[in-house]
Amino acid sequence: MFKKILVAYDGSKGAKAALKTAVDIANHYDAELHSISVEEKIPRYAATIGEVEEFRREADRYFWAVTNDAKEMARQQGVNLHSHIRAGHEVETIVNFAKEGDFDLIVIGFQGHSEVFERMWGSTSRYITRLAPCTVVVVK
Amino acid sequence: MDNQWLQAALWIGLALVATLLSLRIAISIAILEILMGVIGGNFLPLQRTEWVNFLAGFGSILLTFLAGAEVDPDVMKRKFKESMAIGALSFFGPFLGVMAYAYYVAEWPLAQAQIAGIALSTTSVAVIYSVMIESRQNETELGKIIIAATFITDLGTVLALGILFANYNWYMALFIAVVAVSLFVLPKFTPWFFAKAGNRISEPESKFIYLILFGLGGLALLAKSEAVLPAYLVGMVLAPFFLANKTLSHRMRVTAFTMLTPFFFLKAGSLIKLSTLWESAVVIGIFLLIKIATKFIGIWPTMEVFKFTRRENMYTTLLMSTGLTFGTISALFGYTNGIINQEQYTMLVTAVILSAIVPTVIAQRWFQPELKEVGKDV
Repeated sequence: MFKKILVAYDGSKGAKAALKTAVDIANHYDAELHSISVEEKIPRYAATIGEVEEFRREADRYFWAVTNDAKEMARQQGVNLHSHIRAGHEVETIVNFAKEGDFDLIVIGFQGHSEVFERMWGSTSRYITRLAPCTVVVVK
Repeated sequence: MDNQWLQAALWIGLALVATLLSLRIAISIAILEILMGVIGGNFLPLQRTEWVNFLAGFGSILLTFLAGAEVDPDVMKRKFKESMAIGALSFFGPFLGVMAYAYYVAEWPLAQAQIAGIALSTTSVAVIYSVMIESRQNETELGKIIIAATFITDLGTVLALGILFANYNWYMALFIAVVAVSLFVLPKFTPWFFAKAGNRISEPESKFIYLILFGLGGLALLAKSEAVLPAYLVGMVLAPFFLANKTLSHRMRVTAFTMLTPFFFLKAGSLIKLSTLWESAVVIGIFLLIKIATKFIGIWPTMEVFKFTRRENMYTTLLMSTGLTFGTISALFGYTNGIINQEQYTMLVTAVILSAIVPTVIAQRWFQPELKEVGKDV
């Protein structure tokens, strides 16, 4: 049923649960599995390019580490995980990536690493569910 | 409050709040430091002491040097014609337009009108860069042209700041001669010296750069020019070296962002008078509109000549209308040198800050060009 699966992965507890589920589904359907990590919170209206570059360097370092862990975890379950890192707004980036890549399933954690903000401003998972072009599984 | 340590605690405390807020809401530290400065200057006993003025001045010089060191010479060479044309018009349009409005309509004296023109002529490469990273336009041809053009506009701004108010005497001749020799020698001498001095905790590399910046800044002051002019030029000639040496850039940024630029932006904010803000809201709005309109007059036809689409023209022109760092530096230069008063400073810096936000929001919301997929796969 599912041929191409996208899991949103930021290394948080919720994302790890989502990855585990996505790996299970990928194994079950023999589907292609991709992960997307979004570098959000790039400082807007920066004073120097350096401010933006330093933010990205820190974010890159973090996401390279967590996606490598994710790849290893998937590999142990017999799944090859294709990881992607993008900068931008989390919801918009995930939804657009899913559209552009013709994914037929998105798997996301109920809460990412900015739990306080999600409670205050509304849930990322809720917006992705509403805007996604395909089926969405929210893992709790 | 005469206790200098309590003063220092207040300044650095405001900088810390700005940093924490920036991490939370993803707005640049610079804007938040300016806002914290507004609060400090209007509601708290924040004093602009001599040591604060020194650190703020050092911050503006280092900020300008780092901006110059971010110029990518390869992009400049490859897209020279387009970036030169767009960048030059992007400077001259608002410089002349805003100056004319300030001089003829608002009836500011010529020197004050010139400061207004310079402060609002700028384009913020960093504001544009962060927008492009998010929209992934930085890898496109259009994105590269815009960024290269921005460096030309900024060069126009620092040249105007360094030339218009200078004394033309022997000190100026000496200043020009020493800057010319330095710009010729530094690209060869610096890598050699850094290789000899080595990568050490005592930072001989940073000290060497500060020596050059202070020395040339001092000569600039003797000629009644501005220290940011040689700082930007030295940054530009050393850019290839700094772009290749990420660790050194990182260490200099850490110094700048920790102890120097916070004082510059907090001071810039502390001089904004809230009472003037309300009284001059209309003039501030007019300054902003003239800046954007004159950028359009200069850039739109140029973009048409280079056959960009209507959407790309709109996006480019709006992004070229942004400003922040150099606009603030220019306004602060005018105030510090007694050219403009605090009310005029408030109007200019507020218009500069608004120009960082308003055109960016419009460009991102309605005129983002289509692009092909780019990004990192792990």
